[in-house]
Amino acid sequence: MEDFLSVNQMYIVLLIVLLIWGGIILYLVRLEKRIKEIENSMKKG
Amino acid sequence: MKVVKYSSIVLVTFVIIAGIAIPTVREPQGLFEFPMIPGLGQKSRNIFFHVPVAWTTVVAFLVSMFYGYRYVRTKNMDYDIKSVSSAGLGFLFCFLATVTGAVWAKFNWGDYWNWDPRETSIFILLLIYGAYFALRSALENEEARARLSAVYSMVAGLTVPFFIFVMPRMMAGLHPGAAGDVEGKGPVLELKMSSNMLFVFLVALLGFNLLYVWMLDLRVRAGKIEYQRIKQQTS
Amino acid sequence: MSSWAGTFAVVSKDVRSEWRTRYAVNSLLMFVVTAVSIILFALRSADPASDLLAGMLWVVIFFTAMSGMSRVFVSEEERGTTLTLQLVATPTVVYFGKLLFNSVLILFLSLIISLMFQLLFQEFSIKSYAVYVISLMLGSLGFSAASTIIAAIIAKTRSRGTLYAVLLFPLLIIPLMVGMSSTIKALEGSPFGEALPDFQVLAAYLMVMVAGSSLLFDYVWKE
Repeated sequence: MEDFLSVNQMYIVLLIVLLIWGGIILYLVRLEKRIKEIENSMKKG
Repeated sequence: MKVVKYSSIVLVTFVIIAGIAIPTVREPQGLFEFPMIPGLGQKSRNIFFHVPVAWTTVVAFLVSMFYGYRYVRTKNMDYDIKSVSSAGLGFLFCFLATVTGAVWAKFNWGDYWNWDPRETSIFILLLIYGAYFALRSALENEEARARLSAVYSMVAGLTVPFFIFVMPRMMAGLHPGAAGDVEGKGPVLELKMSSNMLFVFLVALLGFNLLYVWMLDLRVRAGKIEYQRIKQQTS
Repeated sequence: MSSWAGTFAVVSKDVRSEWRTRYAVNSLLMFVVTAVSIILFALRSADPASDLLAGMLWVVIFFTAMSGMSRVFVSEEERGTTLTLQLVATPTVVYFGKLLFNSVLILFLSLIISLMFQLLFQEFSIKSYAVYVISLMLGSLGFSAASTIIAAIIAKTRSRGTLYAVLLFPLLIIPLMVGMSSTIKALEGSPFGEALPDFQVLAAYLMVMVAGSSLLFDYVWKE
């Protein structure tokens, strides 16, 4: 197990960074959706 | 804006994967190997993240200054919203640049902080952003707040060229390109990076800036909504 | 009245009201004495080298600027005379008048601070007088330029004192660092040529700040 971890260090870092980045993208996309909804409701009302 | 959004996601994802996964070897052959830069080794990967983020914070500051100027000339509140939004993002990116820089400094030079001219400059930029927001929170009148914070950002902006260009050249420091650096102006300006590294770096520069543009758009739209709400409540 | 006459009028008004109370000069001189005394006390057992003393010199000038340069605008607000000044003079006249007053004040104070340092610290011996005088002047004027516009910006806010320091500090780092560097060269007796790059930066900073401030002052002064 430790062998595997020590050899593939870079890829583990990559995985973690991609996960964090994925989280950020999800947050931004949801934020954009909510803003769009509010903008549309303001236009209609 | 859709183009900006999707391309920024794609580009930054590419940079993350390429920047971290492509191995560094002594004799790079082909597209999927990076050269070993003397003194850096694996740590050279940071260049894909730390430098574009630092670059973006300066861009955000200049944009904030520009919109501040537009406000002062037209008294249109929209410009103030754009100015604050950009300043907020700039502050975030500045913080990230400082932290990534400190981590890199620890691994490369032994200490988290050394008061090297470029380190000092990014710290000063952080202080300028902080001062900008402190000033805004002390002014309740929205016109005064918009006007005076715009002027401050422009006055502070006058000193930024000194930090970026003059100080690092004049004083000895740790960053490449400081006075007394044997290697010249650093890996970017001296093109020490191989062409595939340069490619990833330029993609990173573009990607992070596009990300900033998208985030700015979101913040401005949210800011405008908030402003409408406030206007409706008080009228 | 012509612009020069107007500027001179602003300066002489400030000088005269200052002379009547002598408030600012007294309190600022006391501040200088206090600051230098604290440094004397802190360094009493150590043998301070010339570059440490050069740093201390500029620290005292720096804090003196932080405490004294905001008066030009804040006192107008406190006395309620801002509106009168706005009606009577153009913004440019007001700006240059206040800048001139602040510049004279800080040159005077930095001279006093220099004399105190020369008297009280043996290691503080100036070997290149020309270099020292020019670095002191350019640095202090740079301080004055930045301080004046920031003083105008915070004059109407509520937490004036702290806000003034917070806004001003990042801007004064450049003249502080370069001024220190050229003062150290003066203490060590370096030739003029070595200090020239420092002087170029200080002069550039001074010109940029004065030019930028005079253009932007309109927006601060008028609503």
